[in-house]
Amino acid sequence: MNTMPTASWVGFKMLKKTRPLRILLAKLGMDTHTVGITVIAHALREAGMEVIFTGLKQTPDMVAAAAVQEDVDVVGISTLSAGHTRSLPKLARLLREAGAGDKLLLAGGVIPEEDRQLLEDAGVDRIFTMGSDTRDIVAYLQEWWLNKSESTEV
Amino acid sequence: MTAIADNINDLSRQILAGNIGAGARAIRWLDDGDPRGADVLSLIFPHTGRAHLIGITGPPGAGKSSLTNTLITEQRRRGRRVGVIAIDPSSPFTGGAILGDRVRMAQHTVDPDVFIRSIGTRGQAGGLSRSSHDACLVLDAMNYDVIFVETVGVGQDEIDVVALAHTTLIIGVPGLGDEVQAVKAGLMEAGDIFVINKADRDGYDDTYRQFELMLHLRAESVSRNEIDKKASAWSPPLLRAVAKRAEGTVEIVDATDAHREYLQNSGHFVKRSSHREREQFICLLREAVVDEIMEGMDEGILNRILRREIDPYTAASHELARWKGNTTS
Repeated sequence: MNTMPTASWVGFKMLKKTRPLRILLAKLGMDTHTVGITVIAHALREAGMEVIFTGLKQTPDMVAAAAVQEDVDVVGISTLSAGHTRSLPKLARLLREAGAGDKLLLAGGVIPEEDRQLLEDAGVDRIFTMGSDTRDIVAYLQEWWLNKSESTEV
Repeated sequence: MTAIADNINDLSRQILAGNIGAGARAIRWLDDGDPRGADVLSLIFPHTGRAHLIGITGPPGAGKSSLTNTLITEQRRRGRRVGVIAIDPSSPFTGGAILGDRVRMAQHTVDPDVFIRSIGTRGQAGGLSRSSHDACLVLDAMNYDVIFVETVGVGQDEIDVVALAHTTLIIGVPGLGDEVQAVKAGLMEAGDIFVINKADRDGYDDTYRQFELMLHLRAESVSRNEIDKKASAWSPPLLRAVAKRAEGTVEIVDATDAHREYLQNSGHFVKRSSHREREQFICLLREAVVDEIMEGMDEGILNRILRREIDPYTAASHELARWKGNTTS
């Protein structure tokens, strides 16, 4: 290991609040309804965020691994064909086990109200159900990002 | 998995031990221009210079990601650990991006010996992001044997990847333009290995002939150019591939292996790496100096240019003289 004192490079003057939020969007299981996730991806891109789209038919293990490799701030899962009560708690657990429990976990799509408590208890931070306005999702993320940037080292 | 360290020394040690979360964090810092990124880089840099950097470039829709996917499979079959830097365009208007290269490489996501990172161009022209070089160094320090750098879809002269990679693959497809396109400068002059993907499509034979002609003309001009002995000793192969069926993959990896061996035997492996570090050094210096000049600049001069009272050359000379005066006094 190099023991030379390190001098911060003067060319790097990034302000924490100005770095783009990175968000991973994925669909779990045998769910191939892509309209919703595509619309969301474009809305987030328009809001200046970096969207990493990992595609369809992902397993919780794949999403957790990709979230670590990409070092995203947020993981967003679109689910429209059930299975979310099993896959989302598993994903939340895998993220924690991978040391990535600090990432915001969002879910959207067809999620019955009676599943909400179970998912929130399992570690899903916020659920956007059918009919959510993309502007609300963007506003929610921007506010979360601002709070996080102000409160912690990001 | 151990938690990602929050101090620079421990994080650097984690990177050298191959910790994925630590490497991912360092890449994000470097991509964001976070000062901690440069500090980490200074610690890991002595441990870099070993990985084989392979650039993959070509027009949009040529199948770069699909081909990279099959090349990862073959490199893994040969027992190598693989890193991938996949670059997609950022919006010049919002700064946002949809980075979708992972979709084609999903099968390698949970392989612990494959690390895929998506990066947006964030305003950089030339087919790469400003951070591409740094991200490669992090993966190199993590002891990946091969690092693929997949550029954005490029046109005719966005060939920054050539300066970054040891070996550059140019991916073409049937049905894009005629022989005039093929003999134009830039992309076709740059590659070390040429691949025509989607070779099962109509127009393959025509495209093959155009590439063949272009490579022939290139060989002629190189043999007359004694200065560029590097290029004259390596004859770029022209290969076919159908990425979606993994056809041609073995031959391409044979070719990249052969090119690596050629570079190593001729001393050009180290030469290309050091050339790259020199370019990065100059690039960083240029950025920092421009920043410094801009910071001390009289805003009025910009308005004078806008009002056409002073031309850009005179204005630049003026500002440079002012900066020199400040630094020497």
